[in-house]
Amino acid sequence: MSRATMNLTAGRLAAPRLSHLSWLLLAVAVAVGFGLPAVVGSVLVLTLLTQAVIGGMLAVGVGFLIRQNGVVSFGHAAWYGVSAYCIGLLLRHEVLPVEAALVLALAVPTLMAFLLGLVIVRVPGVAFSMLTLAVGQAFHEFAMKAQAVTNGDDGFAIPLPDTLFGLPISTVQQPETMFVLCWTLLALVIFGLYVTVRSPFGRLTEAIRENEERARFIGYKTVLPRAATYALSAFVAALAGLLFALYNGFVSPEVLHWTLSGSALIMAVIGGSKLLWGPALGAVIFFFLKDLAGNLTEHWPAMIGVTVIVVTVLMPAGIAGSLAELGGRLRKSGGRA
Amino acid sequence: MTANVFLIQILNGLVYGGLLFIVSVGLVLIFGLRRVVNFAHGSLFMIGAYVGFSISLVAGFWVGIVGAAVALAIAGALLDVSVFRPLRGQDPIATVLVTFGLLLILEDLANTVWGKETHSLPLPEMLSGSVEILGQPFPTYRLLVIAVAAAVGIALALWLRFSRIGLFVRASSVDPVTTAVQGVNTDRVSAVVVAIGTGLAGLSGTIAAPLLALSPSMGGSILIESFIVVVVGGLGSFSGALIAALAIGQIHNLGIIYVPWAATMVPFLLMVAVLVWRPTGFAGSHV
Repeated sequence: MSRATMNLTAGRLAAPRLSHLSWLLLAVAVAVGFGLPAVVGSVLVLTLLTQAVIGGMLAVGVGFLIRQNGVVSFGHAAWYGVSAYCIGLLLRHEVLPVEAALVLALAVPTLMAFLLGLVIVRVPGVAFSMLTLAVGQAFHEFAMKAQAVTNGDDGFAIPLPDTLFGLPISTVQQPETMFVLCWTLLALVIFGLYVTVRSPFGRLTEAIRENEERARFIGYKTVLPRAATYALSAFVAALAGLLFALYNGFVSPEVLHWTLSGSALIMAVIGGSKLLWGPALGAVIFFFLKDLAGNLTEHWPAMIGVTVIVVTVLMPAGIAGSLAELGGRLRKSGGRA
Repeated sequence: MTANVFLIQILNGLVYGGLLFIVSVGLVLIFGLRRVVNFAHGSLFMIGAYVGFSISLVAGFWVGIVGAAVALAIAGALLDVSVFRPLRGQDPIATVLVTFGLLLILEDLANTVWGKETHSLPLPEMLSGSVEILGQPFPTYRLLVIAVAAAVGIALALWLRFSRIGLFVRASSVDPVTTAVQGVNTDRVSAVVVAIGTGLAGLSGTIAAPLLALSPSMGGSILIESFIVVVVGGLGSFSGALIAALAIGQIHNLGIIYVPWAATMVPFLLMVAVLVWRPTGFAGSHV
């Protein structure tokens, strides 16, 4: 019996209190974000880092789903893209003040994901992957075909307002400031997910992941928590899509394409999703490798394909997982000596 | 629209449904025995189309079809030995990720070997004409596609029903553990089954080649369509895949004519509807 189901049987769902250390780590992470632009200096690197952090947010959403529900999504670009299209369309037609539009652009994909989740979390893991791929592509097809609404393949420029929450709009368009905003939000998201996985809700979903049947026999509902986890991971993806739309000021069906879902999954696999920040690390590695490879070879897709295979077979916990394991081993041997 | 024109449209739907069936049944066979899904299946379809294209330029159309099927069958046997077998004890997700990596490699390979520009496979003269059906012209080649799909379906049904390996595949798709306890060595038969499955991907790729434009990204859309077929039909179900492929072929084709703006969405909606009604698909999970 796994630890999670044992805790369930004993009715021990109460979460341990957050340590001071985790608050300290959050503060340090945010401070690092504010300091990095001054240290880095190069706008080119900062642009790359901003892309990596936005990609990393999407990957963190995918990784959270792998970690909590034990299933792999090939369609998270759907929530990223729906959010980007939502903000684009709302601003284009000027139906709402921009702050309300931002909230709606997060709420719509999250709610859609929750409703879809109620249906698709019931299928076994492999079928779940197939379904998410198909559903994700359905959104892409829709954006391509609904010319009148989305301007089809060409996409459209988002008419951004002059100010956002009182700040000039250049805040979200220049890498120096946008990087800080994205980094801070990513730190907050990872912290929020950390709190979630330690909560009774997080422990319940882990128990369901380990043994759905047993959790049901003990008397827990198992569809609702998994759908909620799916919706939460979609919310993180939607936040990434929203930041992307503000930063680029442009949306096209590319933000819904399955290759984006695939890239996010690759980042999560490389980084490892057992630790919540693993996928973000994977994203940084992914973007810098891609930039490096771009100058050397045209065979980036094959390279990343080989990387995925090697990491899956030799390093199933990903780079973050392996680092943590190494750290743990060092600590143990240090303690013995 | 007259009844005759409608019937011709039904035939057109049958062409697409038939192709979808040949692709999807390969996935079904592999899932039935191995309990894994090959995300590179669409890429094998794409590679099959290119291999058939290259062979047919040198040796003619028919040799191209047979050559592509044989080449992809050999690739399938290698895939089983080098990927599915070593990963059999692990979470099926590991196989999904590894075959996803293969997908990226195969697309890059096609880009490198055949280039990014689209190719098209010319038909031999005897097939490029059309025949008259109910007073309407209908391309001869499309009739051939229907005939090949029917032949594949019948041959597979007989093979599953009467051969020893077919018996193992059917048994394994119902209950892999009991089947193994009875002494069936899955590893020994699976190279053959996976070879047949990928060989069918290669066959369908070549057969589809004259109807589609060849491009390295053509594997993605067929992969997604065949996933819909397999999930709607019930994972690992031969008859489920047949019914779902034919239904989606018709829906796809009629949708393009009557509701062009929504045509590509209809199969997705059908899939979600079937899953709400039956999470295991039409046929559960039996071959």
